[in-house]
Amino acid sequence: MKRPSSRSIRARLTLWYVAVLALILAVYLGVVFFFQLALLERQMYHDAVQDVETVEALFFFDPSGQLQLQQNYFVHPQNRLLVDRLVEVQNLSGQVLYRSSTLKNLPLDGAQFPSEGTNSFNERTTKLADGSRVFLVSHVHPVEGHPLLIRLGYRLSSLESRMLQFTFVLLLGLPIALIAAAFAGYGIARKALSPLDEMTERAESITSKNLHERLTVENPDDELGRMARVFNHLLGRLERAFAELQRFTADAAHELRTPLASVRTTGELALERNPGADEFRETVSSMLEETIRLNQTIDGLLILARTEARQVGETEELVSLPELVHEILKLLEVVIEERRVSVSEDHDGHPEVPVCADRSFVRAAILNVLHNAIKFSPPGSRLQIAYSSATLESKPAERVCIADSGPGIQAGEHERIFDRFFTSRNPDTQLSSGSGLGLSIAKLAIDRCGGRIFFDKAATEGARCCIDLPVGQCPPEKK
Amino acid sequence: MIAQRSLTLSTASPRQRILIVEDDKKMARSLREGFDERGYDVQVASSGEEGFFVVFSFRPDLLVLDLNLPGRGGLEVLRQLREQALDLRILVLTSHNELEERVQGLREGADDYLGKPFAFSELMARVEALLRRGQPTAPSHSLAVADLILDLTLRRAQRSGISLALTDQEFDLLLYLVENRNRAVSREMLARDVWHETSRFTPIDNVIDVQMARLRRKVDEPFETKLLYTVRGVGFSLREPRP
Repeated sequence: MKRPSSRSIRARLTLWYVAVLALILAVYLGVVFFFQLALLERQMYHDAVQDVETVEALFFFDPSGQLQLQQNYFVHPQNRLLVDRLVEVQNLSGQVLYRSSTLKNLPLDGAQFPSEGTNSFNERTTKLADGSRVFLVSHVHPVEGHPLLIRLGYRLSSLESRMLQFTFVLLLGLPIALIAAAFAGYGIARKALSPLDEMTERAESITSKNLHERLTVENPDDELGRMARVFNHLLGRLERAFAELQRFTADAAHELRTPLASVRTTGELALERNPGADEFRETVSSMLEETIRLNQTIDGLLILARTEARQVGETEELVSLPELVHEILKLLEVVIEERRVSVSEDHDGHPEVPVCADRSFVRAAILNVLHNAIKFSPPGSRLQIAYSSATLESKPAERVCIADSGPGIQAGEHERIFDRFFTSRNPDTQLSSGSGLGLSIAKLAIDRCGGRIFFDKAATEGARCCIDLPVGQCPPEKK
Repeated sequence: MIAQRSLTLSTASPRQRILIVEDDKKMARSLREGFDERGYDVQVASSGEEGFFVVFSFRPDLLVLDLNLPGRGGLEVLRQLREQALDLRILVLTSHNELEERVQGLREGADDYLGKPFAFSELMARVEALLRRGQPTAPSHSLAVADLILDLTLRRAQRSGISLALTDQEFDLLLYLVENRNRAVSREMLARDVWHETSRFTPIDNVIDVQMARLRRKVDEPFETKLLYTVRGVGFSLREPRP
């Protein structure tokens, strides 16, 4: 299985790591090189000065007036770089009085410059006529009462070759260090990214059939762990969406089959019996009624699916529950009047607090609940709407309860009444049952607003449906 | 270019032409029959390509265009027809009642939109409204059907000279029925156009039925001639009494 992306991340990490290390090492080597060079030069100067002082004491004029160097003295300089001493002595008028044989008659730095060597030991680097570079120290010293300029130098070739060796050793170490670092870095990167490979394999094996599977999270707090957690949340959402889709499909197939069968049977029978115009009209009307019901069912299912898919919080605003209830009562006014139902509202001194929710959702839910309550209310009965405070998951909430005097909810149906296509076994309510989706839509809409809808089991007479909605700060721009 | 309409010197208005572009044969046939019965000159095309060519030979006044066509899609036909700048009203039909598609259809130049499944009476209402559009109508302050007169300025109704005590809602409902006289209006149409209920799953059928019953008590019951009828399986209708 090819995984170019993970490999390239590893390679890129290693490459970056090696490049940065190479840069650091190069800087480090440069510093070490120059430090070593400066150290050796200091050492050489120091040794040379000592050598000059020694040599000064060994000069003498022979009887013929020639300047000579005591040959019985062998310098054993500590510094191995100072093996070929070059000496030239001039008097102050520039006449060369002595040249060591190592100079092979070549002048050592030619003419004097003003006050050369008078105050201290002058050091400099110069070139001989044969091209070799020389480190030179000059000093004026009286020999037997004659002030003479003594120049003493050393060829730099040995220092240079030594520095070259040193550099070579250093540069040889560099690639070795880098190769070792690259291997180590690659190994570390591979180890760090290995959970990613596992996750990739796992994710590749997840299809719609096994959406319940999740990635293993080794360390939930590191970056990969966080990614795995986010991915698992995504899988969870997908799983829910899939389940909803399957449920929708199953519901639709099941619920649509019945009315379709009825339409079909009605039509077939009508054709078989060859009825008269009035009967035909009757048949077609009944078929049309069935198609209207079919349409409402499909609409309801689609609304459920859309409500489920809708993102929470995109259309939230501050909603006043009493105001919304009044609006709905106004809409249902004619039905309330027709059934002579008297509606009473009870605030119980409760100050009105707006809730933060999607207004259209809450409206659909309350409309469904109120509509049901009125539908099941016996003519001339009372409908009570009460507002109070409540708590939702220990957060403040507003509650509105709608209590009717109808047949109420049968025992054991308080939860199932919100199921899709649920129809009660209660013979008093069966006749007025609608599509069986109204309360499902109400529940889903309230759930999506972060609220709660339930039928009060303590209600003794009639049904009492309560809706809790969280009181909260709406985003200011959505007010 | 603007389609040249032939001018007839007779007082009868020329038959208006409707082209239906619909690939579902049954649907196309039903529509054809429905429009035929109401006196329109109808032709049917079963694909976008065919529809596009028939437009130029048949010169319809109105095009009923299904958006979900095989081959050249309905939206594309719509776009190309609009580029031709024809004097042609276009009503699109689609089974995707998604707002986005509706908006796109209207943006591409459709004059109106109807989602499947629809009530035929509603399609007729829309078609007639589209064909009326652009024709000068005398500004009217009142509408009359038989002995029922609606005063649009004062928002009052009377029958046989007797004033009817209608609520605002009842007046709006009656006005809608009068505007759509002799045609069945569905509860869906009423919910949308009279109650302005946008959400499609709000149970107000009950409200509509009760309101209709009350209107009937005021408009029909005291009088001999009945105007309001329930069309079972479809909705309601206000019909002019046949002489």
